[in-house]
Amino acid sequence: MLSPFANLSELRAALDGREVTSAELVEASLGRAQATRDSLNAFVRLRPEAARAAAATADARLASGAPRSALDGIPVAIKDVMVHRGECTTCASRILEGFVSPYSATAVEKLEAAGAVIVGSTNMDEFAMGSSTEHSCYGPTRNPWNTACTAGGSSGGSAAAVAAGIVPAALGTDTGGSIRQPASFCGVVGIKPTYGRVSRWGLVAFASSLDQIGVFARTAADAGRVLEVIAGHDEKDSTSVPEPVPAFAKALDGDVSGLVVGLPREFMVEEGLDAGVLAAVREAVEELARAGAEVREVSLPHTEYAVATYYLIATAEASSNLARYDGVRYGRRAADVTGLTDMYTRTRAQGFGVEVKRRIVLGTYVLSAGYYDAYYRKAQQVRTLLRRDFERAFAGCDVIATPTSPEVAFRLGAKTDDPLRMYLSDIYTVSANLAGLPGISIPCGSAGGLPVGLQLLAAPLREATLLRVADAFERRTEHHRCTPPEAR
Amino acid sequence: MSAHPDYEVVIGLEVHAQLRTESKLFSPAPVRYGAPPNHSVHPICLALPGVLPVLNERAVELAVRAALATHCTVHERSIFARKNYFYPDLPKGYQISQYEEPLATQGWLDVAVGPDAEEELTRVRLTRIHMEEDAGKSIHDAAVVGSGVTHVDLNRAGVPLIEIVSEPDIRSPEQAVAYLRTLRSVLRYIDVSDADMERGNFRCDANISLRPRGRQELGVRTELKNLNSFRFIQAALEAEIARQAELLDEGGEVKQATLAFDPATGRIRVLRLKENADDYRYFPDPDLVPLILARERIEAVRRSLPELAEAKCERFQREYALSAHEARALTETRGLSEFFEAAAREHAAPRSIANWVLRDVLRALNERGVEIEQTRLEPAALAALVRLVDEGRTTTQSARGLVPELVERGGDPAALVGERGLEAVSDAGSLEPAVDAVLGAHPDDVARYRSGEKKVLNFLMGQVMRHTQGKADPAAVRRILVARMEAEEDG
Repeated sequence: MLSPFANLSELRAALDGREVTSAELVEASLGRAQATRDSLNAFVRLRPEAARAAAATADARLASGAPRSALDGIPVAIKDVMVHRGECTTCASRILEGFVSPYSATAVEKLEAAGAVIVGSTNMDEFAMGSSTEHSCYGPTRNPWNTACTAGGSSGGSAAAVAAGIVPAALGTDTGGSIRQPASFCGVVGIKPTYGRVSRWGLVAFASSLDQIGVFARTAADAGRVLEVIAGHDEKDSTSVPEPVPAFAKALDGDVSGLVVGLPREFMVEEGLDAGVLAAVREAVEELARAGAEVREVSLPHTEYAVATYYLIATAEASSNLARYDGVRYGRRAADVTGLTDMYTRTRAQGFGVEVKRRIVLGTYVLSAGYYDAYYRKAQQVRTLLRRDFERAFAGCDVIATPTSPEVAFRLGAKTDDPLRMYLSDIYTVSANLAGLPGISIPCGSAGGLPVGLQLLAAPLREATLLRVADAFERRTEHHRCTPPEAR
Repeated sequence: MSAHPDYEVVIGLEVHAQLRTESKLFSPAPVRYGAPPNHSVHPICLALPGVLPVLNERAVELAVRAALATHCTVHERSIFARKNYFYPDLPKGYQISQYEEPLATQGWLDVAVGPDAEEELTRVRLTRIHMEEDAGKSIHDAAVVGSGVTHVDLNRAGVPLIEIVSEPDIRSPEQAVAYLRTLRSVLRYIDVSDADMERGNFRCDANISLRPRGRQELGVRTELKNLNSFRFIQAALEAEIARQAELLDEGGEVKQATLAFDPATGRIRVLRLKENADDYRYFPDPDLVPLILARERIEAVRRSLPELAEAKCERFQREYALSAHEARALTETRGLSEFFEAAAREHAAPRSIANWVLRDVLRALNERGVEIEQTRLEPAALAALVRLVDEGRTTTQSARGLVPELVERGGDPAALVGERGLEAVSDAGSLEPAVDAVLGAHPDDVARYRSGEKKVLNFLMGQVMRHTQGKADPAAVRRILVARMEAEEDG
C-alpha cells in the first residue's frame, strides 16, 4: 500500500512499475480530500467525474507504456485563482460565485497536457489577499500539523493539501510570499519562480507586477519537475520571459561545495523573530556549511522599507485589477438596484470581503491625484533600490538564506483583528517579489510542534541553484519526510 | 461670423481616429463595422478574470505613420498607462491609453483657411499623438432596447485609436473645420484610418475659451463633446462662442463644463459641470512592457510613407503650373491626385486635364457622393476624351455631357462619340442652315452686332450651339456667323 505521503517520484515509479493505477491514486486523493473536508477545508471544489475520466485516459497511456511526462496520471490540485475551462473559479470570493471560465490558464493547460489529473481547486485568501487563508468566503483552511492554527496564506489550501498527503503536488501563487509562507507553516516545499518564468495568462490578477504561479511539493526535485512543466515563454503574457526552461530536476547531485550562502544581517535580528525559528534556521545554515558551502554575511540595506513598498504597489495594482468585478458581464450582480451607481456599490459591497475592500481603498488612495508621487511613484523608486541591494549581494554569493517567516503557524483568529500585524508576517518574503527573484521555502525543523521553513533566494532565472541547494539539504536531513499527525 | 470684435477665440481640438487594423489593439478579436452586438469579442476584450493584453504591432506601425505624416517627434520609448474609471462599456474598469510618455509629440499641420482661391496657410501645432483602446457602446435608446434599461455592446471595446491633440492654436470655427478636413485627408492619404465621421471612426471634442483681445492669459475653457459632422462642428463652435461672449459681456464668468450641442435646436446643453477635474489615477500598465521603437524602424516607416498631400500640392504647382488653390483641390485625396497625374501623363497639356478634373469630374463625383476610386472612369479615358475635343472631333459641350456616363459606366470616349452621334459638325454645308435660322430669328441682335456690339456674337453663337444640340464646332460657327453678318453688311 502506498503511503498517502508518497512523493511525486515515488508515485511515478509505482505507476510505471504497474504497482498502482492512476485511477487508484485519484480515487485515494478524492477520498482523502472528502475525509478532511471539515478538519482541514483544503479544497473549495472537487471535480470527481472529470478527474476519473482523466485518470482513465492516463491509465490507457500508461498501459501502452507511453507516459506523457513525469506527471502523467498523477493527482494534483490548483489554487482557486487560476481559470480552468468549463470549471468554476471564484478566487474564494462571493463576487465570482458561479463564474465558469471559457478558457484555461496556460499553467493549467500545461499540467493537463503533461497528463496530470487535476482533482480540484484549493482554498485561498480572497483574491490572494492575505497571509492565513482566513479571508476566504469558504471559511479558513486549517493547518494539518495543528488544526487550531492557520495553514498560512494566501495559498493555504494548496499547502495543506500537499502537507496532508491529499496530493503530492499543487499549484499556488505568490505575490508577497503566498507560496513560501504557507509552505513553511505546513512543512512542505514551496517555490516561487522568477517573475515572468511562468505565464500569468489565466491567473486572476491581484498585483500584476508581483504575481507568479508556483509549486508546492514534498521534495525539491518534485517541485523542479512540476516547475519544468508549467514554465516557459507565453506570447499571451507580455511580461513572460523568453528564456528557455532548463531541466530543473536534472543535475541535482547534492554537491554544494564552494557554493556561497549569504546571510543578510538585516534579516537575522532577534527582535520580532521567534527564537525557535531563528534556532532552526541557524542550524539549517550550519548544515549547509557542513556540506561544503561557504557562509557569508551580506547586507540588504533597504529591507526596512520592503513591506511598506510592497503594500503600496500591490494595493495600487489590485485596486485597478479588481475594477472589472462590477456585476455587468459575469459573476454576482446585486438584485433590486435603483440605478447604475447603486448596482456598482451594492454588488461590490456585497461581493467583496473586508480585506479585499481594505486593499482596494488603500490602493485607490495611493494612486489618487496629490498622492501618486508621494506613494506610488516613490514606492517604485524604492523598489529599484531593493533590486540593486540584491544585485550587489548576489555579486558575492549564490543564494541568500533567511527564515521564511518570523514565526510558526499562528492560531486561527490571532491576527484577523490587526491587519498591520498580519502584513508584517510577510517581512522576509516580499522583497523577492519586489525584485522579481526566485525563492523557495524548505522545511528545516520545528518549533513548538509546528514546522519551520528555511527560505533561499537566488538571482533572476537561477531556480536551478535554489533547487540544488534545497536538494542537497534534503539529502542530509529528514525534515521533508516528516508528516503531520493523521487528520481526522 | 469669423472674428469676434472684442474677444479672441481660442480653440483646441482632440480627435480620436480609429486605426485600420484587422484586429483590436490588445485582443485578437476582429475589427468589424456592423457586426451583430457582442459578436466581435474575445475574453480579453470582455475583461474576463485572468486575461492579459498583447499589443497589436500593426496598430503601432499605423500610429507611427500618422505621427510622421504630421511632423511629430516619434519617441523611441513610450509607455502604456491605465486610465481608471467605472462605466458599463469599459469592461476592465480602466482604459489602456498613454499618459506621461506618449508615442509622439510636437507636430503640426498647415491648414488653408479663407474663401476659395484666397486661402491663407495657417499652422496648427499638435501637442501629442498617443495610442489607446476604444470603449464599447452603451445603447440607451428606449426605441431600440426598451425603457429603463441600457444595453452594452462590446464590439467596439478594444478597437485601436490614436488620439491627436492640438495646441490651442485655432482661432475660428472655420479654421477648426479646415484643420479637421486636413487631418482627415492626411489620415486617409496614408491609409491609417477611414476617418469617416458618420461611422464614428473620426470623433472630435473641442475645447473653447475666449479672452479679451490683447490679453495673454487664457480664459476658462469649456469642452464640447460628441461632435460628429463638419457642419455641426462649425455650428456648435459658433453657438458656444456666442454663449460665452454674451456671458462675459454681462460681466459673468464662464464655468468649466462639458457640453453637448443639439443640432436640431442649435442650443448648447451642459452635460457635466467640471468643478473638480476627473481623477483617473493614471499609472503605467504593469501587464505591458514599454514600447521600444528602434530609430531604424521609425525611419523605415518614414520611407514607406507615400508622397503626402503637402508635398504633392507643392509639386503640382511647380510641375504643372497650377495655382495653389487648384493644386490643393487636386491633392485633396490621394486617389484624385493619382488619377489626375495618370491622366496628365497621357496628354500633352496637363493644364487642360486639370481643368477637366476640377470642373467636370469633381462635379460628377460630388453629385454622386463617391470617391474617384469607386467610379469606372479611367485616367486614359479622360485623356482620350480631352484629345477628341482638342482635335475638334467633338465639341466641349458634347464631351462634358459624356463625363457622368464615363464615371458611372466607364467606356471608350471615341466609341461613345460615334454611337451617340456627337461628332462635331464643322462643314459649312451642315452649319449654314442653322446659322441662317438663328440670324433670321434674332434680327435685332444682328443689327446690334453690325452697329458695333461685337459681344452679341457670343449670344448668337450660343443660339447656334443650341440649335445643333451642341454638336457644332464653335470655331466654325463663329467663322460662318461673322462671315454672314459682315457679308450682308457690305450689302
